[in-house]
Amino acid sequence: MNPEFQRNLWLELAPRRMVVMAVVLALVFFAAALMEGTTDGPSETARWLYYVIVVIWGTRNAALSVVGEIRERTWDGQRLSSLDAGTMTWGKLFGSTIYTWFGGAICLAVILADLLGNRGPLVALIELVYFVGIGVIAQAASLLASLVAAGRRQTQTQFVVFLYQATGIAAAVAVYLIWGIADPAGSILAHKAPVDFIIWWGRAFDARGFLLLSLAIFTGWTLIACYRQMRLELKMRNGPLVWLVFLVFIGLYMAGFDGWLSNNPTFAHLGTAAHRLLLSGTTFGALAYTMVFLEKKDRVRYRWLAGAFSKLRLGSVLGGLQGWMMSYFAALIAGLVLLVWLGQVSPGPDQAVLGATMGFLTRDMAIFVLANAMARRGNGDFAAVAILLALYALLPAILGGMKFDAGLVLFSARASDPVWLSPLVAWTEALLAVGVTATKLALPEDRTAAVRT
Amino acid sequence: MIEVRDLVYEYPTTRALKGVSLRVGPQTITALVGPNGAGKTTLLRCLAALEPPYSGSVTIDGLDTREAPRAIHARLGYLPDFYGLYDSLSVRRALTYTARSRGIAPALAAAVVEKAAGRVALLDRLESKAGELSRGLRQRLAIAQAIVHEPRVLLLDEPAAGLDPQARRDLSVLLLALKDAGMTLVVSSHILAELEDYCSEMIIIEDGLIVGGKAVKVRDVERPRYMLEIAAARSDLREFLSGRAGVDVIEADEYHALFTHTKNAAARAKLIRNLVSAGFEVSSFGESTKALEDAYFKQVGQAQ
Repeated sequence: MNPEFQRNLWLELAPRRMVVMAVVLALVFFAAALMEGTTDGPSETARWLYYVIVVIWGTRNAALSVVGEIRERTWDGQRLSSLDAGTMTWGKLFGSTIYTWFGGAICLAVILADLLGNRGPLVALIELVYFVGIGVIAQAASLLASLVAAGRRQTQTQFVVFLYQATGIAAAVAVYLIWGIADPAGSILAHKAPVDFIIWWGRAFDARGFLLLSLAIFTGWTLIACYRQMRLELKMRNGPLVWLVFLVFIGLYMAGFDGWLSNNPTFAHLGTAAHRLLLSGTTFGALAYTMVFLEKKDRVRYRWLAGAFSKLRLGSVLGGLQGWMMSYFAALIAGLVLLVWLGQVSPGPDQAVLGATMGFLTRDMAIFVLANAMARRGNGDFAAVAILLALYALLPAILGGMKFDAGLVLFSARASDPVWLSPLVAWTEALLAVGVTATKLALPEDRTAAVRT
Repeated sequence: MIEVRDLVYEYPTTRALKGVSLRVGPQTITALVGPNGAGKTTLLRCLAALEPPYSGSVTIDGLDTREAPRAIHARLGYLPDFYGLYDSLSVRRALTYTARSRGIAPALAAAVVEKAAGRVALLDRLESKAGELSRGLRQRLAIAQAIVHEPRVLLLDEPAAGLDPQARRDLSVLLLALKDAGMTLVVSSHILAELEDYCSEMIIIEDGLIVGGKAVKVRDVERPRYMLEIAAARSDLREFLSGRAGVDVIEADEYHALFTHTKNAAARAKLIRNLVSAGFEVSSFGESTKALEDAYFKQVGQAQ
């Protein structure tokens, strides 16, 4: 047996704890059955309890599976073990949450018994896949958040652990709300009528099948992300290929929902191809912002990367690229292709706004790196977010109050007169930010000299 | 066994190691000494392939830490300065988990657990919870976890910190036994006295640099260093001692001599008889216990 899983079994599945869980749940279901009519009955109670036990409690356990080791100073010992990243990942993910899965399994038995009796085996099977999927993706997202933070060597306060847990809960809420679109059993909170079909890449797909497959695929990607993050913790290297494949996947996946934009008056005139490029590029941009916030912005790594690049060691450079860098380049490439495309269908202001958007994206990436390079203690990510809030909300609001609308091109991508002014301003800011960042990342001369002595 | 070349390690705002080069031979116990903040822990973490070097290289048993960190992890045991234990697990289960996670087959796990527990005298505590052990016993369990898979290299960061004198003595005996069993040990400490009993080499690190640039031979367990003092000056003291079988003079003047000699008690008694017979007024003769400290301050003094 996987030693990490075994260790968690020793800690989590003590016979007394299992008996307590089974007895408490049995009493709750018995009470719900007695009060059926005034309450939702055992099946609905089991659904709520499943979310509480597997999602809320489980995400906390998953987050603590790494954070707890760091706190207790046992993480270095685990990193030195012979366990490979996959074994360590599943040992932690399913080992640390095994007690919540025990409780979840009891809840699922009640839910499925009800569904089999009232709605048939197909609906029961679909619900089983949904419940298992939402539990795994929530716990995996929580573990992933804690692994990313472990790589950043962040302090592990209770609040920070709550943030990791919240990441998993947010993933579960997203799944829950999206599933509500086509929930065959009737979602608890959904008040809209379920849809039967989802239009993707111009074709209609059965909504339940499409969403279940999407859930399975995104759960898979989350598990892959956990595995790759664990590899980094175990001092193994990750090549760029998997992230590039993910970018291609997410780009194609999101581009398929072009129907969202075709009915929007702002974008309708651009055409299907532009809609798809816009959706892909926006997704890459959003990923770049997310990853640059999450990933460790290590000056040493960037110096090393710059050194490898200057020596044209392209293999090392590709291997050293972070997720935010690849997402940024993907957004830039999608933007450039769209720029060329717009030259044919809508030249002028639309191109200028797109060009300015790419400039501001570049500037913002540099701001994140710069803020971290200048931070003496802790990380500069929250400083970067504050700067961006000032640039995108506070300063434009002040200019708006002063009726100086022409100055807004300094802070956001917008149509300008002359047309080229907006991209010119954005790229000037971008180059300035990149230049200052590069200077700040360089090692001061006095410390370089110390090495030569 | 361990080779470090021009190792540079940086934290975001400071350069912790500034071009460290050193070599540690197989089956030795090397003391890594230096003041607090000198870079000892960083160096050990680089040796353990837990931190990648900014530049330079670290080779353990012929493997580069950057190229094969996992293979190196499998070859070494590491006891950090602040270690943790699974307090809720029994000693047996903690060691079983470590053994299994270190690649020991399930069928062999019980045997290696008993062997590791026996080495650190914890056999009678196998069913005790780790959280119930005293500080000294916890230290033993931590060391047992570091050696349960019989590593070729053992890195110990301040292993005797907080131990009582008896526990320190036990630690010395254990480390010497591990060396005799074939392990190569690097022990970091800023307390020189505790290293004296078991270390044979010394590396001094200060402000991220190896002071003096090479390992210093400190002590040969089989041939300790002795200090002789005579009451009346004799200019032939060095010459006389050098002529005796088994004596290697390190330094001598008209009143004192520092030399290595076999640990055999009868041989020492014979040497003293010879000295007295030759008219030397021996006023003091004993094992030098400050070799490490002397070497440390001598090296640091030269560097400054």
